[in-house]
Amino acid sequence: MLNRRTILLGGLAAPLAAPLVLRHGLAAEPVRIGMTQPLTGVVAASGNYVANGAKAAVAVLNRAGGVLGRPIELVLEDNKSNPREAVAAAEKLMLRDRVPVMIGAWSSTFTLAILPKLLEYKVPMIVETSSAARITTSGNPWVFRIAPTSEMEALAFAELLPKFSPPIRKIDFLSVNNDFGRGATEKYGAVLGAKGIPTGRAETMTPEATDLSAQLTALKQSDSDTLFVTTGVEQLTLALRQAIEQRVNKRLISTGGSFPDQLLHNPLPAGQSSDHILFYAPWFPELARHPEVARAYTDEWNRNGWEFAGLTEGFRGYDAVLTAAAAIAGAGKPEAEAIRQALWKVDVKGVNGDIRFFKEGPAGQESGQNHPNAYVVRLADGKATLI
Amino acid sequence: MRYFLPWAFLALLAAVPILLPDPYTLSVLASAGIFIIGAISLNLLLGYTGQLSLGHAAFFGLGAYASALTTLGFDIGIGFGQRITLAPQPVWFGFLAGIVVPALFGWLLGRLAFRVRGAYFVIITICFAQVLRLLTLNWVELTQGPMALSGIPALSLWWPGLDAPIALFRKDQIYWLVLAVAAVAFLLVRQVVRSRIGRALVALRENETLARSVGIRVTHYLVIATVISAGIAGAAGSLFAHSVRIVDPDVFLFIYTVTMVIMVVTGGKGTLWGPVVGGLLFGPLPDLLRGSAPPEAQWIAYGVAMILIVMFLPRGIVPAVASLWPRRAAAKPAAVAVEAEG
Amino acid sequence: MMDQALQHLVNGTVLGGTYALLGIGLTLIFGVMRVVNFTHGELYAFGAYMVYALVSLLGLNFYLSLVLATLLGVALGALVELVLLRPLRHADIDSVMLVMIGAALVLQNTEMWVWGGVAKMVPTPFVGTPLVVGPVSVLPLRLFVFAVAVALLVGFWLLLDRTRIGTAMRATFQDPQTASLMGVRVGLVHTMTFALGSGLAAAAGALLGPVFVVSPTMGDLVGLKAFAIVILGGLGNLPGAAIGGFALGYVEEFGAGYLSTEYRDAFGFLLIILVLAIRPQGLVAARERIG
Repeated sequence: MLNRRTILLGGLAAPLAAPLVLRHGLAAEPVRIGMTQPLTGVVAASGNYVANGAKAAVAVLNRAGGVLGRPIELVLEDNKSNPREAVAAAEKLMLRDRVPVMIGAWSSTFTLAILPKLLEYKVPMIVETSSAARITTSGNPWVFRIAPTSEMEALAFAELLPKFSPPIRKIDFLSVNNDFGRGATEKYGAVLGAKGIPTGRAETMTPEATDLSAQLTALKQSDSDTLFVTTGVEQLTLALRQAIEQRVNKRLISTGGSFPDQLLHNPLPAGQSSDHILFYAPWFPELARHPEVARAYTDEWNRNGWEFAGLTEGFRGYDAVLTAAAAIAGAGKPEAEAIRQALWKVDVKGVNGDIRFFKEGPAGQESGQNHPNAYVVRLADGKATLI
Repeated sequence: MRYFLPWAFLALLAAVPILLPDPYTLSVLASAGIFIIGAISLNLLLGYTGQLSLGHAAFFGLGAYASALTTLGFDIGIGFGQRITLAPQPVWFGFLAGIVVPALFGWLLGRLAFRVRGAYFVIITICFAQVLRLLTLNWVELTQGPMALSGIPALSLWWPGLDAPIALFRKDQIYWLVLAVAAVAFLLVRQVVRSRIGRALVALRENETLARSVGIRVTHYLVIATVISAGIAGAAGSLFAHSVRIVDPDVFLFIYTVTMVIMVVTGGKGTLWGPVVGGLLFGPLPDLLRGSAPPEAQWIAYGVAMILIVMFLPRGIVPAVASLWPRRAAAKPAAVAVEAEG
Repeated sequence: MMDQALQHLVNGTVLGGTYALLGIGLTLIFGVMRVVNFTHGELYAFGAYMVYALVSLLGLNFYLSLVLATLLGVALGALVELVLLRPLRHADIDSVMLVMIGAALVLQNTEMWVWGGVAKMVPTPFVGTPLVVGPVSVLPLRLFVFAVAVALLVGFWLLLDRTRIGTAMRATFQDPQTASLMGVRVGLVHTMTFALGSGLAAAAGALLGPVFVVSPTMGDLVGLKAFAIVILGGLGNLPGAAIGGFALGYVEEFGAGYLSTEYRDAFGFLLIILVLAIRPQGLVAARERIG
C-alpha cells in the first residue's frame, strides 16, 4: 500500500520535477550581475560605451563557460543621467532582481547617491568610472573602485610633464560643475601647483550647457598656455570645437578618460591638436599591460560593429565585469557577502592593467581602491599618437 | 455606506504592507503616494480655482530642499564677509520647514502671478519653477548643485517610553508614513473645499466677473488657495527628500509638474477623489514598466492619456464613473455637492 | 575689455537671430489661434533630427537638407493642427494647453525612441576655422545660420504683408469673428498658421542642430525660452517677438560675460518674472488682452 502510493506519487512528480532538474543542471540558472549606467540624458554617450563594454565581457566569459559553470546574465538599468533615477535603478536591481553584485554608475554624483543603499541592502558595487575621492573614503565597505581618483589621475599626468614641449607653465580649467569636473580642477590644480605650475582661471559649466561662448571668452583673456577640459563626451566635443572657434590659443587637454569620438570623423581644423588623458588607448592595444586581454576586448567590440572611439570608455565596463566574475568565482557562490570578501582577493588581468584592491577609508569599514594606468593620446587631423 | 467606503479604502491601503510585504512593491507604491499628495495639492489650484498652475514642481522641490537643508544644516556666504550658518536640525523641524518655506513662496507667487490670467499666468508659473531649478543647479555652496544633496537622514518617530527615536528606513514604514500624510492632505483639502474659502473659489472659477461683482475678494482667496496648496506640495517634497534621501535640481523639472497635472486631469479635476484615482493609475506606471518597456513608452502613454482624456472625457474618470451610479447621484440633490464628494 | 564686449555683441546677435525665429512662430500661433503651443520646442528638436537624418544617414546635401527639414516641420505642424487642434477649436484655452503638453510628451519621447538618448552631431560643409575681423572671431557656420535666420524673418514678414493668406492671417489675428464674416476661411488660416509657425521652429532647430548637438531633450529649455521671448515682446505681438528674441540673446550673452556664466539660462526667466510683475502686457505691446 505504502509502496504503491510512493510509486504513484513518484510517477506524478517526475514530469513536474524534470524542468526543475534541467534548470538547475547543465546551463542552469544564470548568475546575475547588475549594472546601472546613464543610457539616456546628457552623459548617455559614455554610459552606453561602458554598458557595451560590459556586454562584451559577458559574451566573452560566457563563451568560455561562464562562471561557476553557469552563464552570466547582465541586468542593465538606465539611470537617465540623474542621481534620483540612479537610486531607483539600484533599488530595482537589488530588491527585484536580487543581484548579488553591482556595477555603476558612471558619474560620481550617481554613484554617491547609490552608496547608502549598498549599506542598506548589503550588496557590493564595483565602481567603474567615478573619480570623486569621497566614494572610497566615506567608510562604505561595499564599494570597490577600479577607476582612478582625480588625484591618482593628476599624479599620473604629472609624471608625463617632461614630455610636453613647449613645457606647461600656467593652466586654466573648464570643468563641468559636478564632482567629476570640480575634482579635476581641484586635484590637477594642487598636483601641478606643487610642481610650480600655477592655475590662472577656472570656469565651470552645467552638464547640459551647449553654448560655452561666455566661458571661453573669459578664458581667452587669461595668459595661461594650457586649458584642461573635464566633462562627458558630448560636452567635451562642443567645448573643444568652440574653443577653436573663439580662438582660445592654448594647448587643450581633456581629463578623466572622456574621448571626443566625433573628432575622429569631423576633426578640428588643420594644425589644431588636442591631448586626451585616457585609461585605454585602442589605437595601440599592443601597448596595454595585457595585450591579449585588450585584443579579446577589441575583437568582441568590433564583432558587434560598435563605434571605434567607444573603446576608450567601454573597457571600464569590460574590466568591471571581469572583476565581478573573478569575485564570484572566488566566492564559490553568487552571494553578496561572499563576493564582497572575495573582491579583496581578486587579481584580475584587465584591459587597463592588473586589478587589485587596496584599503581606503576609516579602519574597520574600508572601501576597495585599485591603482590603474593612464595614457596621454594626442589627436591631430583625426590621427592619434601616444605621448 | 457613503461614510464607510472611504475608511474601508484607507484600511485596505493600510493593510497593503501586511498583505504584500515585498519591499520593492512598497517602495514603488510609496513613491507613487508622494506624487499623489502632490496631485491632491495641485487639484486645489487646478480643479477648484480653475487656474492652470504649471509650476507646481517648484513647491514640491522647495519642500524637498528646505527640508533637506534644515536637517543637514548649511554654511553659506552672503557677500560682505557675512555668513549664514545653520546647524543640522531634527528631521521633523525639516519637515516643518518643508511646509512653511513653499507656503511663503506660494504667497509670493500668488501676489505676483494672480495679477494676470490665462496664458500669462501659465507662463509665469513655469518660469518660476525654471528659475528655481537653475538656482539650485548653480548655487553650489548651498545646494551642492548637480552633485545633489545626499545623505539626507530618514524621518524618525518617537513617543514617551522610547529610548531613542526610530528612524523610518524600512519600506513598510515609509509606505505608512506617506499614506498618513496623504490622508491628512486629503482631509485638509476636503475641509478647505467645504469651507467659505472653497465656496468662494468655486464661485470665481465658474464666473470671475460675477464673483467680483458680489464682493468676493478674488485675489485674496486665490492666494490663500495657493499657500495651502504649496504647503501640501512641500510636505510631499519633504517626504520625497527623506525617503529617497537625495535631492537634485531635477525635482523642479517641468515633467514632474506634468506628471501631477496628468494625475489630476485624468482622475477628474475639481473632485476630491480625482487625484487619488489618477495617481493610483499613473503613479506606479514608471516602475511597473521599468524593464518591460523603455522609459519613453511610459511618457508616450502619459501623453496619449492626457490627449484622450481632454478630448473625450474632459471631466475625468471620477465624474464619469459617478454619473454611471445614478442611485447615489439621485440621493444627492445638489450637483455641486456630488462633485465635491467625487 | 572693448574686444570682449564686441565679441559678446556679435555672439548675442547671432544667438538672437535664431531666438527671434522661434519667438515669431510661437507668437503668431498664439495671436491667430489663442493656442499656447507646448510643442514648439519639440518641433525645434524635430527639425534638428531631420537634418541629422538627411545629412548623416541619407547623405543628402547639407543645404537641401535644411530646406527639407523645414518643410517636414511644416508638414508635422499641419498634421498636429488637423488631428489635435481642429477638433478643439472651440475648447477653452486650458484644455488646449493640456492637449499640447500631451502632444509634446509624445513627440519628444518618440524622438528618444527612434534616435536613442545619445546626442548626435551633424557634419557641415563649413570649415571649423573662425573668420577673424579685428578683435572679433566668428565661425562661418554661425554667420550662415544668422544670415538664413534673418532671411527667413524678412521672408515671413513679406508673406504676411504681401500675400492673400498673409492678409487672411492678419485679419484673423486682429478679429477672428469679423474675419470669418468677411469670408476668411478660418480653418484654413489656422492650419496654415500652425504649419508655418512650426516650420519656423523646425528651421531654427535645423540651423542650430549642426552648431551644437542634436539630442531628444534639446527642445525642453528652448521651448521654455521661446515663451520668455514672446512674453518679453507681448504675447501675439509679431515685431515684439523679433525684438524679444534679440533682447534675450543679448541679455544671456552679456549676462554670462559680465555677471555669471552659471546663471546664463536663468536670466531670461528672471527677466520674464520682472516684466510680468512690472509691466504684464510685455515690453513692447501697448495694449494686449492679458486675461
